[in-house]
Amino acid sequence: MRALIIEDEKILRDQVIEALREQGFAIDESADGVEGLYLATTMPIDIAIIDLGLPNLDGLSIIKKLRAESCTYPVLILTARDTWQDKVDGLEAGADDYLAKPFHIEEMLARVRALLRRSGGWSESLLQFEGLAIDTRTQQVTANQNPVALTAYEYRVLAYLAINAGSVISKHTLLDHLYDEDTDRDPNVLEVFIRRLRQKLDPNKTLDPIETLRGRGYRLALERRHE
Amino acid sequence: MNSISSRLLAGTAIVLLIFFVLIALSVSYSVHQRAEAALFDRMQGLIYGVLGASDVVAENELLVNTDELPDPRLLQPTSGLFVEMINQDGVSLWQSNSSTSIMPDIKKSQVGEWIFDRIENNHGQSVHRLQLSTVWEFEAGREFPFFIQAVTSGNSVDGQLRQFDRSLWFSLFISGVCLLLMQLWILSKSLKPLKTIGDELQEIEQGERNRLDSKLPTELAPLASSINTLLTSERNRHKQYRNLLDDLAHSLKTPLSVLKNMGSKASPTSAAITASAVQEQTDQMQSTVERYLQRAANSTPQTLAAAISPRTVIDRLASSLRKIYANQVTIDVNCEQDFNVRIADADLYEILGNVLDNACKYGSDKVELRMNSKSRTILIDDNGPGFPKDLITQLTQRGVRADAQVEGMGLGLAASKELIESYGGTLELSEPDEASNAASSGARVILSFS
Repeated sequence: MRALIIEDEKILRDQVIEALREQGFAIDESADGVEGLYLATTMPIDIAIIDLGLPNLDGLSIIKKLRAESCTYPVLILTARDTWQDKVDGLEAGADDYLAKPFHIEEMLARVRALLRRSGGWSESLLQFEGLAIDTRTQQVTANQNPVALTAYEYRVLAYLAINAGSVISKHTLLDHLYDEDTDRDPNVLEVFIRRLRQKLDPNKTLDPIETLRGRGYRLALERRHE
Repeated sequence: MNSISSRLLAGTAIVLLIFFVLIALSVSYSVHQRAEAALFDRMQGLIYGVLGASDVVAENELLVNTDELPDPRLLQPTSGLFVEMINQDGVSLWQSNSSTSIMPDIKKSQVGEWIFDRIENNHGQSVHRLQLSTVWEFEAGREFPFFIQAVTSGNSVDGQLRQFDRSLWFSLFISGVCLLLMQLWILSKSLKPLKTIGDELQEIEQGERNRLDSKLPTELAPLASSINTLLTSERNRHKQYRNLLDDLAHSLKTPLSVLKNMGSKASPTSAAITASAVQEQTDQMQSTVERYLQRAANSTPQTLAAAISPRTVIDRLASSLRKIYANQVTIDVNCEQDFNVRIADADLYEILGNVLDNACKYGSDKVELRMNSKSRTILIDDNGPGFPKDLITQLTQRGVRADAQVEGMGLGLAASKELIESYGGTLELSEPDEASNAASSGARVILSFS
């Protein structure tokens, strides 16, 4: 998952980024409205966290502009102006949720997870498939009722495929959404992760959770389970 | 005497009264004068006529040819018109046949002098008397001086004058009353715009109107436009004041966020960094507070809020909440019975936002909002577990929460209650009744506006 953080207060921005990195997010960040809008409209963002009071271009304008550029990913507003009028203004501008300062990092993470699930059409924090379950809150994965131990990168790959279950995700997209700009991205490494994931999730070759579509990418092909 | 119209009316009434009395007195005086002058002329003619019919035969001996007398009333007893001629010793030389009573005494006067006066006869009646002192010249150059006086009872002339005075006063009184009535009508017509302004101002006070907008006469248009400007500037001032507070909150909350998260992330190795960061953030907060207190000292609180329809606020809040609680809650809004509320719109957002948000949080899957223009209330129902009965009264006190799991229920309701009460309204907690579509059981919040 790739998150964009636009917040001019450096210490708060660093706290947010640190918490998101721990959750396995790739991060784009900016302290400036104009630069933030540039990132928001050019990077393959999965979720944006935007402060309302920003230098050069305010948060509401950024949200309106990125929506006008048909960016549809969820946007979480950070606002110190926590009046209902401001919340309504923000939500009408195109944001999906708001978080009033001061806030706990845990609450922000919960909102981010909820927004990401919702954008993938999930209403619960538990993503359930036939034979596979992923708890996005605890990052625990079970395959055929057996817990599976995954590394952080393996989990990120699986979670991204699961959130977008049914869609074909190209290698390039997957790399874009998993790694920061400045990290070394090697498609071969991705193939290694996929192979390892298949082994861990499906040691008996009965589940076949991840399809490879030659030349196009990967797809989580399991049936969704609705309770 | 507080109204302009009663002052104008009283003033006009006094002026009219003085004017009519002066008119009546001067008209009456000049008419009386003319009547007396006419009487003098008539009596003078009478005296000349009598003298013309007379012939002095010798001293103290007069002959009057009664056929030539100018007025037949002189021959008729009790006609009220008498003539008498008297010598200088006061001895009567001739009396008309009508002179039944004793004639008044002669006043000594120069020859050729006319005396016209009003005297009382011996019956106590007021009479007019004209007296002439004259001299008869004989051919030999001898002279015989004597007096002639004519007396007429004042009754007929006085009666006419009284009649005239009566009709004069009566017609002036009627005209005065008519003029006052017309004045009253003109006043009510020309003061109507003032009354309109008064009514509109009252409507502004009651929240049914935003500005003075009736068509006013040119004299009042500048006043109305000034009042409208004042209203607008007052509203803008309030907006600035609120923005100031919001900015202050914004400036404080960012450092607060930093501090809060430092607290949860503190580790022994980062203690020194934390300490310096805390110092930096608190310094920033302190200077911020000082700066904003300075700015706040220059702003004034709001006195008149604009009247707004809650409908827009409700619609915007509902669509926002539908976004936040996507797929979890259906929000049914019924604003057919719309009414206006005099309130700062940011405050209305807070009041309704807190209540609706609570309903969405605690309702199972339905929230319904209804406006009632008759009772000026807004009902918000949900189909959740409802308010704990023993907490219903406590809930609206700040900080008491029904469910510690979800943040802000008690706080939100208490804030809404405080806000709406500051505008003279009330917030009550109850249960939905049969009329509610949302639920047969659950929670109901009743917002009443004054």
